[in-house]
Amino acid sequence: MFANIRRKASSKDAILNRFIIALAIVLLLSFLLAFFYIPIIRIFEYSFSSETENIGLILKEIITDKVNLYALGFTFLQAFASTIICLILGLPAGYFLAKYDFKGKKLLINLLTVPFVLPPIVVLAGFLVTYGNSGWVNTIWQSVTNSTTPLISIFGTIEGVVLAHVFYNISVIIRLTIPAWESVDYDQVEVSRTLGASKYRIFRKIIRPQIMNSVIAASLLVFIYTFNSFAIVLKLANPTYKTIEVLIYRSVQVSHDYTQASFLALLQLILNSIVIILYIFFDRKSRQIAEGKESNLKTDRFQFRNQEWRKIVRNLGVIFFLMLIGLFTFLPILAVIIRSFIPDKAGNSVFYGYQEFFSNKVVSVLNANPLTLLGNTLWIATISTLITLILSLLIVFILRSRYQSIRRYKTSKTESLISYLIILPMATSSITLATGVYLQYRGSAIFDSAVWVFIIVSHVIISVPFATRTILAAYNRIDVELMNVASTLGASRSRVFRKIVFPMIYKGIIVGGLFSFAISLGEFGATYFLARDEFKTLSIGIYDSISSQTLQIPLAMASLLIIITLLCFYAIHKLGEIELKV
Amino acid sequence: MVKVSIKELSMRYEKKYILEDLVLDIHNGELLVILGESGCGKSTLLKIIAGIIEPEKGTIFFNDADITHQTPQKRNIGYVPQAQVLFPHMSVEQNIKFGLEARKLPKDDVAAKLKWIADLIQIEDLLGRYPREISGGQKQRVALARSMAIEPDVLLLDEPLSSIDASGRESLALSIRRIQKQTETTAIYVTHSSEEARLISDRVAIMYDGKIQQIGKIIDIDLHPMNYLVAKIMGTSNVWPVLYVNENNQGTNISVPIGDVQLQRKLNKKITGIRINPSSFVITDSSVKPDKKIVFQGIVKSIMESDEKTLRVIVDVKDTDSEYIKVDCMKDDLKKELKANTELTLVVDSKEVVLF
Repeated sequence: MFANIRRKASSKDAILNRFIIALAIVLLLSFLLAFFYIPIIRIFEYSFSSETENIGLILKEIITDKVNLYALGFTFLQAFASTIICLILGLPAGYFLAKYDFKGKKLLINLLTVPFVLPPIVVLAGFLVTYGNSGWVNTIWQSVTNSTTPLISIFGTIEGVVLAHVFYNISVIIRLTIPAWESVDYDQVEVSRTLGASKYRIFRKIIRPQIMNSVIAASLLVFIYTFNSFAIVLKLANPTYKTIEVLIYRSVQVSHDYTQASFLALLQLILNSIVIILYIFFDRKSRQIAEGKESNLKTDRFQFRNQEWRKIVRNLGVIFFLMLIGLFTFLPILAVIIRSFIPDKAGNSVFYGYQEFFSNKVVSVLNANPLTLLGNTLWIATISTLITLILSLLIVFILRSRYQSIRRYKTSKTESLISYLIILPMATSSITLATGVYLQYRGSAIFDSAVWVFIIVSHVIISVPFATRTILAAYNRIDVELMNVASTLGASRSRVFRKIVFPMIYKGIIVGGLFSFAISLGEFGATYFLARDEFKTLSIGIYDSISSQTLQIPLAMASLLIIITLLCFYAIHKLGEIELKV
Repeated sequence: MVKVSIKELSMRYEKKYILEDLVLDIHNGELLVILGESGCGKSTLLKIIAGIIEPEKGTIFFNDADITHQTPQKRNIGYVPQAQVLFPHMSVEQNIKFGLEARKLPKDDVAAKLKWIADLIQIEDLLGRYPREISGGQKQRVALARSMAIEPDVLLLDEPLSSIDASGRESLALSIRRIQKQTETTAIYVTHSSEEARLISDRVAIMYDGKIQQIGKIIDIDLHPMNYLVAKIMGTSNVWPVLYVNENNQGTNISVPIGDVQLQRKLNKKITGIRINPSSFVITDSSVKPDKKIVFQGIVKSIMESDEKTLRVIVDVKDTDSEYIKVDCMKDDLKKELKANTELTLVVDSKEVVLF
């Protein structure tokens, strides 16, 4: 509680510490200012200024434009539908995973999270192979039923978008509600049972109030992720359906209507901020409820011997349900890898895609050398990760160095200011961010000659909230009294950091780093928005070539991304936990 | 050896004073127990002495040096917090060596001091283990060793026994006492348990309302508590707050939660509470009220054997809101056998009522 306390400025240690904090604040703020706040101000400026016509009329036109209204409606509808379906599937899955104990449970929970860190373009590729018109599911369906109409149509339909979003986000619900189920006070359930309450009544009166806040918080997160979805909608639903994100992208890159783009970006920013604020509110409430509670959920094992038939049926049902969720999650990933070995036309080798990939020559469907794309992807991810880690550590450092005594033990002004300053980037979609950067810096020398600088910057701003959360979670697990004791034992601030704090958070730092590496690896929206033919990453390469006749090449690239992501993920699994929350 | 003086120390937490013009002197080499209820500010006081929190107002002297604004690093204190906070990623040995290494002592000295303290606190066999591999009581011994290894001028203990099993408490308390005496270290021990205070203190300071209310030897405070609250914090048996006082022609009538107490004299000071020693009561079954005596009617709640000759009887006083009187009586004096849930009458001489 009383970690770092204000001291007389006479101490050298304190002066140095203040200097470091001031430097950290300056560094952080200049980065955010240059690459986030100034671009966002630019969006405001474009929204409300026009050289020729009356701005009011233009805005009115944008608001009442049918295409825009339609897109707004679709964005809400698909986000809502995706969230509801995620809840219907994810809530029971979360409960079963909390309630039942079995071998490999932790691994399964971790594997279910893989889609969340998978590049959207890889998910698209997986969906194409699994659920596409001539994909596996439809082929099997058609040969079984002898019909010519496909079972699922994912192109130009809302089903396709929702299915992909559920695939992407179901892990968010599962992961965030497992702790909620675990922290329900089951003693209260037992007591109510002895008082004669029915199962439904127990759920409504005892369990629901305890898990509600977590469920709402998780739903709001899923809502915002699906609300901001870009790649999936661009490929699957466009041109029939568009989300606001796609519309912003098209306004800038296709119709060059910057006023409309800015206005929509502003709208997106406001809507996002509202959801994020709601999310923070419910997340805090859920943490207050769970605080200081130990799990007293009695876990069950799947037992079949000497059980009454009802229990056997229930166990089988649960296993079947979890297997379905697993299949739904892993099928598209496996499909990408398997399909990358199936030749598209006779005469091509099984390894055609990989041969082309490693041939070190320009591939015509890509109009680029695939190895260069891989190289670009890896070094962009590496640099983004390093910058992300530095910024996240600075944020953690500033937030935790409360330079005040107990008499002012309220949230300090610096602290709340910085909290707000980093909440806003969280509430910004990648396309809004890219639009701002584009409007601010297009035409500048760096933008023309080294667009990768801005791609890195966007990746950094997108991953900083995740990395910060992960490191902060590790930091908050340290008991402040440890630091107090260390300083009474004579250890200086730097010694306390080196010997106590760092050894206890370095795993968190590595996990945060791996997480941001994975995010950068697959980031599509901002990269696609900013990248041009002369500078592409693997994600963009896959997107460009996935409609071609030779699926083996993009799928080989996608498989490589899957493998790198899985490696990151395996390391994360070994080291600790990622924070899916922002 | 160091004496500690605290002068007019004040501290607010969100506008409410938790310490208010607190004054306290701790003698050279004594073990002072600060006794108070949870949230009375005693932990904050300890953290201020440790230098972890800076006070709003006031001064702290170690001998004659003003250390109020010195960092904890420079104060040379040993601090054992309430929870068992060992550095989890370090072995017991590394934990103990932490303070010695921070002082950049030569390796030989570090090894020598490690051996000395491990021997003194009897934890030689734990040195290679990690905090997760040892018990709560052992952890607290290691925390004590870690703070004593640097040979502190002042040892600060914040409820060191509260987080360990009841069985290990007494032995750890006695170890603390032994080591503190052996090293002649000035020590401040914060707790809410009067039993711990009785077990190890040289002097006790009773704290509430942000101040030290009374300070002295246990026996003196037991006999002459300054007021009702002090007696209550000390955990003394049979103390009751005074509700109101009425002077009448026989003397003074004092109303307390167990009933009215009639004294045969006038009071010359303000009183806050009364105490009646459990052995002052006499159990009778006659309903005749003896002269100049105070009588209570009640129901026997429980009877326990204190030793071969005495019984401790808990009596629920009639017409009160669950007020109990503890009575000690000799078995031989009983005219008939006591039974639970039977009525009885207690008589006490008004001279036996202690006022404070």
